[in-house]
Amino acid sequence: MNHDAPLISLKNLTKSYDNDGVVTPVLYDINLDIHKGEFIAIMGPSGSGKSTLMHIIGFLDNQSSGEYLFQGEPTEAFDDDALAAIRATRVSFVFQAFNLLPRTTVLHNVLLPLLYHPTIPAKERMQRALKAIETVGLTYRKDYLTSQLSGGQKQRVAIARALVTDPDVIFADEPTGNLDSTSGIAVMQALQQLHKDGHTIILVTHERTTAEHAERIIYIRDGKIESDSRDFKRMIATEKEAHSLK
Amino acid sequence: MKVADTLTAAARGVSGNPMRSLLTMLGIIIGVGAVVLMSSVGQSMTGVILSQISSLGPKSMVIFPGRQEGGAGQVAAGFDSLTFDDLNELEKLSSIESVAPLIFVKGRVSFGREEGSPQVMGVTPAFFANQTIVTTQGRLITQEDDDASSSVAVLGPDAYEKLFGQQDPLGKRIKIGENHYAVIGVTKALGSQFFQNADDRIYVPFTKARQASGQKYLNQITMLATDSFDLAFADVKYVLRRQHGIDNPEDDPKKDDFVTRSSEQASEILGSVSLGLTLFITTVAAISLLVGGIGIMNIMLVSVSERTREIGLRKAIGAKKQDILLQFLLEAIFLTLLGGIIGLLGGVLLAFVIAIFVQTILATYVFAVSIPAVTVSVLMAGFTGIIFGISPARKAAELHPIEALRYE
Repeated sequence: MNHDAPLISLKNLTKSYDNDGVVTPVLYDINLDIHKGEFIAIMGPSGSGKSTLMHIIGFLDNQSSGEYLFQGEPTEAFDDDALAAIRATRVSFVFQAFNLLPRTTVLHNVLLPLLYHPTIPAKERMQRALKAIETVGLTYRKDYLTSQLSGGQKQRVAIARALVTDPDVIFADEPTGNLDSTSGIAVMQALQQLHKDGHTIILVTHERTTAEHAERIIYIRDGKIESDSRDFKRMIATEKEAHSLK
Repeated sequence: MKVADTLTAAARGVSGNPMRSLLTMLGIIIGVGAVVLMSSVGQSMTGVILSQISSLGPKSMVIFPGRQEGGAGQVAAGFDSLTFDDLNELEKLSSIESVAPLIFVKGRVSFGREEGSPQVMGVTPAFFANQTIVTTQGRLITQEDDDASSSVAVLGPDAYEKLFGQQDPLGKRIKIGENHYAVIGVTKALGSQFFQNADDRIYVPFTKARQASGQKYLNQITMLATDSFDLAFADVKYVLRRQHGIDNPEDDPKKDDFVTRSSEQASEILGSVSLGLTLFITTVAAISLLVGGIGIMNIMLVSVSERTREIGLRKAIGAKKQDILLQFLLEAIFLTLLGGIIGLLGGVLLAFVIAIFVQTILATYVFAVSIPAVTVSVLMAGFTGIIFGISPARKAAELHPIEALRYE
């Protein structure tokens, strides 16, 4: 492991899908470095390839070509089980649709990733889960079934679940997409708090108000990085310019 | 993922939707329940028949006059073909250890005002030895009683109860037909023999019975084989055919005017019956487990489709293929095993209830559970879970995490 290297480094990465011989390119020549502790928003309209990019960075999918270095290590040689092992220990996800287990309590949902974690001992699980639930402020709801929670609460459970394994990167795919604005703000505040605590967060969203919480915004259009900026206003200007050119 | 965690996850999968799990298990519950019930009833019935056979004595044979018409048990009765000469000839055989003739005495039986209709048998002491009959009160008929044609009687327990109730019968005089007999003993219960009550009997000395009935032929001869049944049988048939002038080299029982029965024969019949029963139960078990297994597979496939997003999530948070495979396979095995155990308990309970009812009419019917049948059927149920659970589990394990997460 190279500690000086960026946490995530993509070099000339491409991705295309092959559907019965029809090849659809989705990402072209992506070059990107992400460092530990960053809070990044990947923005772009639907179909721009931002989710595909997140899936590749998040070890849910493989690139078609190019290089993906995670902590300086190339990843293309990883098989399904190796990818699963990385997902269990190094990364975690918060999804738009929450993806909590139905008919299951908040506590058991948060405990779930620990079952697949190879090194966290069983006796530590409960303590970790309770701490993660406390971090998102849902201790008073820990024994509730997920179906008894509001949308915002559900997403906070999902954040606690993402947090519980103490991963290197937390991916959030449209985390506020299914929420009203108040709940959305609460969820974003929770993510911001995680960032302050030192977590690397990669947010995928098409909502500007959500992206505003990030400190670096990568704008993707048609499978290419259109802008990569730490200045939100400049990014918005680029976006408008791009629109006006159309 | 550790095995214990996978087990917990599978158990949650099953308990999370109890109604569906119960309905899924129904085929297995009924299948295993039926097998356990049938094998239990079969075992109890075998016990009933075995008790009848063993009450005959382990090496005993019986000869009846008559003709065997069809299969075993179809006997045309009422022949007078067994004679005293036959008896004398049979006594000479070295392959026969003891020979006991029997004559039925007709007539009403009474003690004071009490009347009964027991079977009255004139027997020699050898009869008691052949059938291992012992007394609970008094004594059996001795050679002296027989030699002297004494007017004495030994009562079977049912005959005793009907005539005497709780009174002491010893020394009391009962009337059989026109003759009076002094009661000298009461025998221990035998149960039933060839589905006839062997306890509603009265035994009198053979010579006395012969006098009283004036009968010139025998109703039955019981014997004990010295060593080999086959040899004893061959000898008995040879002697009786020679005595009766029957030419029967092809050993066709329809040509004989006597019928032989042995406890070994009865055991053989029982053996073939229980083999048939075992095959029948096995077939039923196989069919019901197949049907139950298909039901499980169906529901597991539905469950995999329904829980595609859950599978996607589990994969996204680090579940390996084998974790998912094992979880769904264990769910199927849980369902079948649990179904098997519920079926087992239900079958045993039902067999127990049946035993309670049957015991009121068939006293020797004892509740029994066939341990091999129970073990095999529950194990088979679990095995069914593996066979029919593997395909849905594999389908779940092969799902791509992203596609699974996007599944609507």
